[in-house]
This record gives sequence, C-alpha cells and structure tokens, in this order.
Amino acid sequence: MTKEYRLPEDVVAIHNGIKDMSIRGAGRIARYVAIALRKAAEGFGGQDVSEFLRYMDYVGAYLRGARPTAVSLPNAVSYVLSRLRRGHLASVDEGKRIAVSAADEFINYANNAVKVIGELGAKRLENGDVVMTHCHSTAAVSVITNAHRMGKVSKVYVKETRPALQGLITAKALADEGLDVTLIPDTAARYYMKKVDKVVVGADTVVANGAVVNKIGTSLLALIAREARVRVYVATETFKFSPYTLLGELVPIEVRDPREIVDEAWLKENHGVKVFNPVFDVTPPEYIDAIITEKGVIPPQASLLILIKEYGVELREFVDQLPPIKEEELRD
Amino acid sequence: MGDAICGRVSHKFSEFLSDLGGGVILGSTEAAVSALEIIKAASYECGSEFKDFLLRGIPSIVASRPSSQVLGNVLRMYVERFLATASEGGLRSAVEETPVMIDSLIRDLEGVREAVAEIGSRRIEDEDIILTHSYSSTVIKTFEKALARGVRFRVYTTESRPTGEGKVMANKVSSLGVETTLIVDSAVRYVMKHVRKVFVGADAIAINGAVVNKIGTSVVALAAKEARARLFVLAGLYKFSFETVFGELVEQVFLKNLESVVPKERFSELAGKVLVRAPVFDVTPPEYIDAIITEKGVLAPQAIPILVMELYGWPPRIKSLESLLEGVKRL
Repeated sequence: MTKEYRLPEDVVAIHNGIKDMSIRGAGRIARYVAIALRKAAEGFGGQDVSEFLRYMDYVGAYLRGARPTAVSLPNAVSYVLSRLRRGHLASVDEGKRIAVSAADEFINYANNAVKVIGELGAKRLENGDVVMTHCHSTAAVSVITNAHRMGKVSKVYVKETRPALQGLITAKALADEGLDVTLIPDTAARYYMKKVDKVVVGADTVVANGAVVNKIGTSLLALIAREARVRVYVATETFKFSPYTLLGELVPIEVRDPREIVDEAWLKENHGVKVFNPVFDVTPPEYIDAIITEKGVIPPQASLLILIKEYGVELREFVDQLPPIKEEELRD
Repeated sequence: MGDAICGRVSHKFSEFLSDLGGGVILGSTEAAVSALEIIKAASYECGSEFKDFLLRGIPSIVASRPSSQVLGNVLRMYVERFLATASEGGLRSAVEETPVMIDSLIRDLEGVREAVAEIGSRRIEDEDIILTHSYSSTVIKTFEKALARGVRFRVYTTESRPTGEGKVMANKVSSLGVETTLIVDSAVRYVMKHVRKVFVGADAIAINGAVVNKIGTSVVALAAKEARARLFVLAGLYKFSFETVFGELVEQVFLKNLESVVPKERFSELAGKVLVRAPVFDVTPPEYIDAIITEKGVLAPQAIPILVMELYGWPPRIKSLESLLEGVKRL
C-alpha cells in the first residue's frame, strides 16, 4: 500500500480542486470523485489485476484525503471500489469496465437524486411561504425552485454565508429561476426570522443520531428558527449519511486558513490575534423537523433506517473487522 | 446640509455628519463626544450665529444617526444646561460658557463609563472565556480594569458583519495583552460551548429592559442562553430611551452603502435580480439578558423602570429635544 503511483492529470486536478474548494458542495464533490475514479481506471497501464486493485485503492485513499468532513467523498469512493472488489475480476479490462460503469451509475444516481429531493421537498412547502436558506446546496435549491414552480414560494431570504459567501451563488441561482430573493448578512438572520415560514438547508454529512453537519452557521440558523417556531428542513442525498459514525466515529470538523476571513496585511498587523475558521458545525436532531432524501422524508432520529438500508452489508463487514471485546474489559 | 451653517465650521461640520452617518465613528458614546466637541468649536467660531448653528445643526446631527439614543440624550443634556445659563445670564454668557459646559458634560460621560467598567470588571473571573460582539469602548475599558486587578481571561470577538468592526475590537482587545480569537458571526454557536460570559455594549435601552445594539447581538444572546453562558450588557443610563416610555419604537436603520455586504466585483452578478438588505441594529429581549450594568449598579433588565423612576420621577420628567430647541429659538 505504500507504493506511489503516477496518477492521470485529471485525477490530480480534481483532488486539488476539492482541496482548494474550487470544487465545493458535498454533492458536487461526490460526483467529481466518481469522475476521478473513472479517469483513474481508464488511465491504468498494466495488465496485472491485483496491481490494478491496489492502484484503485491508492487512488481512493488519495481522493479521500482531499477534505476531511464531507462523507459523500468516502461514500462515493466506496460505491465504486466495493463494486470492483465484489467483481472477482478476470482481467484488468473487465475491472476498468466495472469501474467506469459504477462511476457513471453513481453520477446518474446523484443527478437524479437531486431531482427527486426537489419534488419531495416541494410538497413540504405551502402557498405563500417565505423561505430562508444558508450557504449553497443544490438539493435545497432544487426544493425551493420546485416549490416555486408550483406557485408556493413568495420570497426567499438568502444568508450571505461568511467567510466564502456561497450565499451569493444561491441568491443568483434562485433569482435566475424567477424567485423574489433578498440577500442578508448572517447577523440579520434573527431580525428577519419573524417573517419566515420555513428554513431549507442542505447537508454535508448526516450522522447516526440524525445530527446534521453542514456549513458553519447552520446550527445557529436552526436555533434561531426554533426560537421563532419556524420549521427546519434538511435536503440531502443518502450518500451523505455517514456509516462510520455508527461505529462511534466522530466527524472531524475542518478548520481552514484564517486568510479566508481576513487578509494577509491584517494578519501581519494583528499577529497577536488568533483567527479561528471552522468550516462546519453540527445541528442537533431536535432542531430539525425532517430530512428530505431521495429515498423519502424522514425524521432525523430515523437516520439509522437509511444507514441500515444503504450500508447494511458493508457495515457488517466493518464490524467484523473490529477486535472482539473481552469480558474482563467490559467489567473494567 | 452643512453649507448654511455658520461659515467657519461649515466644512468641519459636514465632514463630521458624513463620518457619523457612514459609521466611521464606531461607538455611540464616541459619536456623542464628537458631536459635543464640534459644538464647542462652533461656540468659539460662530459668535452671533451660534444660536442659529444650534437650531439647524442639532437636528441634522440627530438625523444622521436616528437610532442613536446616546446622541439625542447627550445633546438634550447640553441644550438643557445652555438654556438654564441663558435664562440667568443671557444668551451671550450661555455661548461663552458653552466650552466649560461641554467639558464638564464629557467629564460626566467619562465618569459614567468609568463606573460602568469598574462594576462590570468585577463580573470577570480568573479563567473566564468571554465572547463579545461588535465594538464597544466600554467593554474594552471593562477588560482593562479586570486586567489591572490581575484577572486572567480569554476573549472571542465576532467579525460583526456587515460593517466588520469586530476586527477593530479584536485589535484593541489583543493589544491589551489578552489572548484574543476572531471568528465569523456564523461560528458563534460553535464556540459558545466554551464561553462562560458574553459582554456587549448598547446603543439604547428600552423601558422593558430590551437592548438595542448592533445587528447580531440578539443572535449572540440567543446562542448564549442556549449554552447557559451569562450575558451582560454594559450601558450607562445616558443610553436610556425615554421615548419608549411613551410607546415609541426604536427606529431601524438600513445600511445605504452595500459594498460591505456584496463585494464590488460581484455586484454585476446580482444587480437587478437580488435585493440586498442590511439592517444595522437588532433588539435583544430582556429575558436573554442576565444583567444590565449601569453606573448605578447591576440591574435585572426588568428593573430598569424602577431606576428611571428613582432618577427622573414617573413618568420621567424629560423635555424633548424639539421643545428645548423651541426654547433656544425664543432667546
């Protein structure tokens, strides 16, 4: 596993794009990872099957390392690699075929999922609703635009979403669909919440107890909504549910460069000031009214259902790998 | 606006108005002190035109920051003293004594802030992790006094979008030698788990104990309440809004220059499609405030009316700035 491989340029470009956030959003990251795996498979030179599998594992690990928080990334990798491993490959060409079709299948699935989420989510909105959203989520935008086409949404408040200002992307996307959009600073969310009926946001990762990891400020928005008795919906594909959390793993929250918040000159002048830039936060399940997935609308506490249905087999594989617990240890 | 105002201060005056309206002068007390300084300068320069300067200048100062209770209250205190002097010694002596009046008013304000900071600093304990929002010179003074007593604590400052004065706050707090961490406003709930106390200033205090302060303060207060962190508001009583006793609402102001919300280079993406709104203040309800720290002591926000009654009677015998200026006109 320690062997280094030369990777196709496209694979490196996607890895770097995810890392520097020019490819962002958990859904898009997953789709690009599938593309990268396809390109990697196509670019493999040798004829040795086990060497091919080691190479694909290497690419998988390389892509996984691009960003720590979004589980869609390792899930997309697992989707493709698990199909490869189950394939009992006779040749490298067969392996390539399986990898390419698994990657395409995943991309199709992901694109279709956004559409289905939009349709299901739109049913949760009602005529005249004023909606507030945070950051940029393709799934959340799909819900809001679908509802708008049904004539339901009267207005959308979009939070700017510092530091990277993804709210501007959302504001433009919604305005292009003909929605009445008002962009507000993050600090003004509570000021406007009185006028809002529903909050719709996306997710980066959904964990086993139904807590949602999403862009920093989401949990604050959910708290503000709860105070005003405004419903909170999370729109997300099921490949953002994290099977690892079922095994007790915590989701690592990525902390990024201070220069996303203040510029170099400011940092120099204020070298005594630390700048803390966590990218995500965790919204507890009790602040979420429902999670809208392509497999249906569920209460967040039922996230286990998705994990068992989608990852049941693999989980058993994971659990089997854990060392057995000895009775003495339990008594300690 | 300033051009009709007594020639020699007119330039300085219009510059001051634009600084005031544009938010260049950060704190509300600082704004009030600058207003007093400019009146003092006018009393030297304007001579017989000074009365006219007051009649036109004061309303335009108030109009350029309509939300600032402090400005209105401090100007009222000055005009009251001006009228009292004029009724004894005539208009001319009131003009001549204006610099003395103003110096003593500024000293009084300083005294109030000293007292507030002194009392507030006693609420800071060793090992405290404190969060503050926006910029407040009273909060800075409070930290200074706690440090002088040898208390060690750490501070989080929020960026305070859209105007971003939290960065100035981070600079000032850090230069006191306090370990300071700057965060985006969205990260308030993330760090609140570790925060023990929140200290903020105020732009105005309403009769029900609600606090008007820079936008985002009520969000911080809500997050503090959820995490059971204590929230203290540091505010001298010169920030009390007498108008609210008579049912007036505190007026909202919206940022006119939206460049701080949407970076210039991205304007074209959104122009003509997206409405941008940036309210400047919000209201923190009294139930989210553990105490308002005034120069008269630490108060439950709901006890504000009792203190106001003690000091000014009930209903408070306060003349409006307009009626006081009517008095000036009659001189």
